[in-house]
Amino acid sequence: MRILIVDDDSLNRFLLVHMLEQNGYPDCYEAESGHEALSLAKRIQPELVLLDVMMEDMSGFEVAPLLKAQTDEIYLPIIFITALDDEDSLVRCLDVGGDDFVAKPFNKTILAAKISAHARTRELSKKSYEQNQQLIFYRNAVEREHKIVEHIFGNAVTNDNKLLPYLDFKLLPATDFNGDLLLFSAGPNGGLYYLVGDFTGHGLAAAIGALPVSQAFHAMASKGLSVFEMAATLNETLLKLLPGDMFFAAALVHVSLCGTRLEIWNSGMPDLLLFNAEGDVIERFSSQHMALGILDADEMGKEIQRYQSTVGDRLLAFSDGVIEIMDPEQNMLSEKQIEHWVAAQADVTVTELFERITQFSQNTSPSDDLTCVSYTCQSLLALEHQQTIAPIPFHLTFDLDASAIKEGDPVQSVVNMVCSQTGMYALHARLFTVVSELYNNALDHGVLKLDSALKHSPDGFEAYFDLRTQRLAQLSQAEISMTLSFDPVKRSLIILVRDSGPGFDYQLRLKQASLEDCFGRGIQLVAELTDSVQYLDAGNAVEVMFNV
Amino acid sequence: MSLERKFSADKKQLTVVADEVFDFGKVQDFRVAFSTDIEDVEEVTIDLHKTAYMDSSALGMLLNMQKLLSAKVSTFKITNTRPQVLKILQIARFDKKFEIS
Repeated sequence: MRILIVDDDSLNRFLLVHMLEQNGYPDCYEAESGHEALSLAKRIQPELVLLDVMMEDMSGFEVAPLLKAQTDEIYLPIIFITALDDEDSLVRCLDVGGDDFVAKPFNKTILAAKISAHARTRELSKKSYEQNQQLIFYRNAVEREHKIVEHIFGNAVTNDNKLLPYLDFKLLPATDFNGDLLLFSAGPNGGLYYLVGDFTGHGLAAAIGALPVSQAFHAMASKGLSVFEMAATLNETLLKLLPGDMFFAAALVHVSLCGTRLEIWNSGMPDLLLFNAEGDVIERFSSQHMALGILDADEMGKEIQRYQSTVGDRLLAFSDGVIEIMDPEQNMLSEKQIEHWVAAQADVTVTELFERITQFSQNTSPSDDLTCVSYTCQSLLALEHQQTIAPIPFHLTFDLDASAIKEGDPVQSVVNMVCSQTGMYALHARLFTVVSELYNNALDHGVLKLDSALKHSPDGFEAYFDLRTQRLAQLSQAEISMTLSFDPVKRSLIILVRDSGPGFDYQLRLKQASLEDCFGRGIQLVAELTDSVQYLDAGNAVEVMFNV
Repeated sequence: MSLERKFSADKKQLTVVADEVFDFGKVQDFRVAFSTDIEDVEEVTIDLHKTAYMDSSALGMLLNMQKLLSAKVSTFKITNTRPQVLKILQIARFDKKFEIS
């Protein structure tokens, strides 16, 4: 340990140095005045100072605070050596910043003991300083990592801005990372999906789950899955991903193209409130399932809540942070309060609601993330046509002869080929139903000359199937052709199916068709799913049109 | 290839899960699925959560099933329909004969 001895008397200095060397402190430095002490200290950075009080030029009392001032953050013990023994002087030693004093003539043992004690304190101070430096280093590293995560989140958890005109929402996270999640996406058929969710806890640990949920949500929404299916998939993903004590409360909403048919899945979120245009509550969609990430797949219930609302009705969803926010008297906000606010002003916006919430809590910062989403029922037709559509016209022809027909069902291949074009995927389910209907009619009735009447007998379906298989195997001469033409300007897909059979009296059959018979059901489906149906020639050709 | 199916503990409820494509090609499998071991069955549920594609022959098969089982089975349900499939059922007015959800 480097010890600095400051005394204008050289004999005193000599005695001290000698004594210190004997007690195991060989590294001593001497200064004869305050000035010399200060400049020497700057150079050698002593770890302990023995300071004489009575010096000519600068007294110890003046030197002490100056020495302290020029040290780093680490504690530098200063022990005064003083012949004075009156209480006031001794107190003054400590007042000016000294840490201890020894009386002259000094007792070797006592001095050694004090030096040792102060050296220990200095060690502590050094340690604390080093730990502080480490903390600063780690804090900087964590902040840097947070910036990286923020960047990833910003890019990965995105929503389709096309939908912004239809949803009014606001998210207010309690910390840098939001444990609440809001996702929305257009469905493939012009409908709208949105998800409001809340991960247990908040902060970075909670927000991590948002990434896989967001990716899965968008993928499933683009496929037009039901809200139950989406919930089941998210549940499975989170079950595997999240630790046992974490879960994700979520509400999923699907709004159909017309804008008023609602399908709601609520697992663990507060009630979704449906208000009419006047601001009265007409329905509450409460949580019917456990939050996601808890139950095994086969333990999950399947009930979806469906509701047919009217244009102008308004569905309000929020995370529990909103209703649990407290005022200074520790009263919770509650759903009732929100209902009052909407009743008082039916068209209150989410931003205005948040203003009222801030007023209520009198600006105490919320301890939980706050999220609120409002959807007012309105036609979503505009969404359907905003899909970019295949820019090139195409013309697909499938000419099937007997051996090709025997190969198997071409419907799926045909549908896949059409739907592989940009923007056509929205049609896929309808297209399958219609093409399947037309092709199978052409095959069963046009080519194989089967009679649907057979299906009506008790084991008719199976008998029909067997006969069909038989006649198909025996088929030697036949043709079915399908052409699918797409006009990007008119945005229309025209399908023509023609078979080599004799046709039928379609005028008559159409008049007689009812939903009770196969033909009637089939034609009803085709008529409702397409924009036009027309039988041609002898009835062995049929043309349908889809407006995309 | 047989269709997935489940019985309730008391064997009174049968659930049949249809495949992704529900068309006439499934007629035999479907028949087997809804008519095997059904002595005690009073309620049949057709689960369509996997089904993305359906045509009118599937509608026919459902009605056929109802006809064949109506003596013993009093409740027929269709569940977990995707929006597009639900539409097909609604066009065909199946809500009159089945409990759809």
